Amino acid sequence: MAMASRALLLLGGATPTNHRRLLFTRGVATFSSSISLLHAKLDRVIIRCCSTSNSPSPSSSLEPPDVPRLAATARISLTPQEIEEFTPKIRQVVDWFGQLQDVELQTVEPALRADTDGDQLREDVPETFDNREALISSVPSYEEPFIKVPKVLNKESE
Amino acid sequence: MASLLCRGILMYPPLLNYAAFLRRKSHVFYCTMSTTEAQTATQGSQSTQIKISPHRKKKGLDNILKDYEAIIGIETHVQLSTLTKAFCCCLYNYGSQPNSNICPVCMGLPGALPVLNSKVIECAVKLGLALNCKLNLKSKFDRKQYFYPDLPKGYQISQFDVPIAYGGHIDLDLPVEFGGGHRRFGITRVHMEEDAGKLLHSGNGSYSQVDLNRAGVPLLEIVSEPDMRNGIEAAEYAAEIQRLVRYLGVSNGNMQEGSLRCDVNVSVRPIGQAKFGTKVEIKNLNSFSSVNRAIDFEIARQALLLSEGQDDQIVQETRLWEEGSQKTVTMRKKEGLSDYRYFPEPDLPGVTLTKDYVDSIRNCLPELPEVKRRRYEKMGLSMQDVLFLANDVNVAEFFDATIAKGADVKLAANWIMGDIAAYMKNEKLSIDEIKLTPQELAELIASIKRGTISGKIGKEILFELMAKGGTVKGMIEEKDLVQITDPAEIEKMVDKVLLDNPKQLEQYRGGKTKLQGFFAGQVMKASKGKANPGLLNKVLLEKLNATS
Repeated sequence: MAMASRALLLLGGATPTNHRRLLFTRGVATFSSSISLLHAKLDRVIIRCCSTSNSPSPSSSLEPPDVPRLAATARISLTPQEIEEFTPKIRQVVDWFGQLQDVELQTVEPALRADTDGDQLREDVPETFDNREALISSVPSYEEPFIKVPKVLNKESE
Repeated sequence: MASLLCRGILMYPPLLNYAAFLRRKSHVFYCTMSTTEAQTATQGSQSTQIKISPHRKKKGLDNILKDYEAIIGIETHVQLSTLTKAFCCCLYNYGSQPNSNICPVCMGLPGALPVLNSKVIECAVKLGLALNCKLNLKSKFDRKQYFYPDLPKGYQISQFDVPIAYGGHIDLDLPVEFGGGHRRFGITRVHMEEDAGKLLHSGNGSYSQVDLNRAGVPLLEIVSEPDMRNGIEAAEYAAEIQRLVRYLGVSNGNMQEGSLRCDVNVSVRPIGQAKFGTKVEIKNLNSFSSVNRAIDFEIARQALLLSEGQDDQIVQETRLWEEGSQKTVTMRKKEGLSDYRYFPEPDLPGVTLTKDYVDSIRNCLPELPEVKRRRYEKMGLSMQDVLFLANDVNVAEFFDATIAKGADVKLAANWIMGDIAAYMKNEKLSIDEIKLTPQELAELIASIKRGTISGKIGKEILFELMAKGGTVKGMIEEKDLVQITDPAEIEKMVDKVLLDNPKQLEQYRGGKTKLQGFFAGQVMKASKGKANPGLLNKVLLEKLNATS
């Protein structure tokens, strides 16, 4: 985890000017200083490389990043110049993570989550969240009674 | 002749007209019978025209279709009728004020954590067992990532590689009017997931509107094996799923409200070809008849393209069924496989089922539609009756309760399917809403059988019982409706009627014996409908023919 927090690949940020902001995205971590944004458009693929002394392993076993595809899944459009510019930088980050591939895991049980004792279930009993106003007021664009979002007609998936 | 017709179709500008072609086909379908001769007679004169008569086109399409077979699989989303959402305590009610039932969890706010509703597991196990599935005693949730404004978290909590249930099947009977027959379709898997919010597109505005009330509502997705071959089989599969979830009480199965949603995959291949054709998905099917019609349209569309050598025009895509124009239209083309970047949901523990838990649910399952149908069949009811009675769980329960009170099986079925069903339809009531109880229906049937009341009076009482309630006994006493079976009393009435209608009596005796009906009617009227019809006619005939 420490490693992960030292190098974050954040997908799904937003700037006030970007109408994507209207989409709710989890994984939008708060980030403050020492980030040099590569480009205004790149704010959705924010790469924050820590100043580590470990240089990226050139023999990484990870696939090199397919930046056009990444951009498509993040629903942003990049110019060919931008793709050219970002590719080595994203690759650097991926390679840096690639070092994890070297960790020997054959003998370790997969740990998907922090398992707790007993079943973590709840009864089917309704409870009203009592601060609805705060929820609504945090919505960037709201027009009673709906949340306003940019017109989207082509759904990627169900 | 056949090849000539096919050539006629090939002459048609490819692709341009198949929609019109198929649309017309549906009209012709119903009128062909009566117009065959007229069509044949005019075909000669039409041969000079470029336009092909609808009749010939229909025949051509049938010719094409017989060389192809369709492979159909269905994904059904069933919205569970739990009180609260899947992972938070928000209430869910269809039709609530938009964005009224929301909380940080279903809005996907950072830091909010999901906690699974135990009822969702219960529903999944019930449905899994009812679909004859094997259960994964250890399953888990996964994240399915995609961007869309109705999905606040940016991912849907679903089950990917380890669904809660898999490898089952469903049995159904095709309706008699479609040729009947029993079918068994495979069930690939059943998994738990959450619904997305509702996205509304404003008419001409540049924005869309989101209602998150539905976000996080529990769904069960049922994936069928590609076992269906035509629209009817697919529609009946969907109807049986609806019946099943209603019998189990896990969902209201309402298609109009979107509580039951079917996505259909259709591919067509020449008969004898091992390789599957290109798969096309159809969405926006909100009734069983649209499932049926959309599939048959799509099969015809693909078969026609294949027959014209335009295989490349069939692409892997999602198409929408347009109810207005009765055709499917492209919604989006699929560029390769979607990449949902699934990974195990770290915020939720695995789902573990114990054998005891599964057994306790298995022991509480109600009698399921298939078992009920087979039981009714064994009682000697016709398939038409069986399908009607078992179709609606409430009707089936009413019928079962009526015969449990000793009512004759066939008579009970006739009353329910006849006058009771007609009344429910007219008054737009369900069988639970009418005031008649199974107990009283059984009593009514018994009273008629005993001869206490006539069938005609029974019918009158039935309508009162349905509208106002009460008991058969009470109503017979209150209204003095007991059937008159005393021959002396009937004789008296017959005598009076003959005396009051000397002219008709003379005519009858002069040979106009048809007037017997007139006299019977008059006597029945005099008895206020209470005279036993058999006895009445016997006495009447004796008297009418007495002095002749």
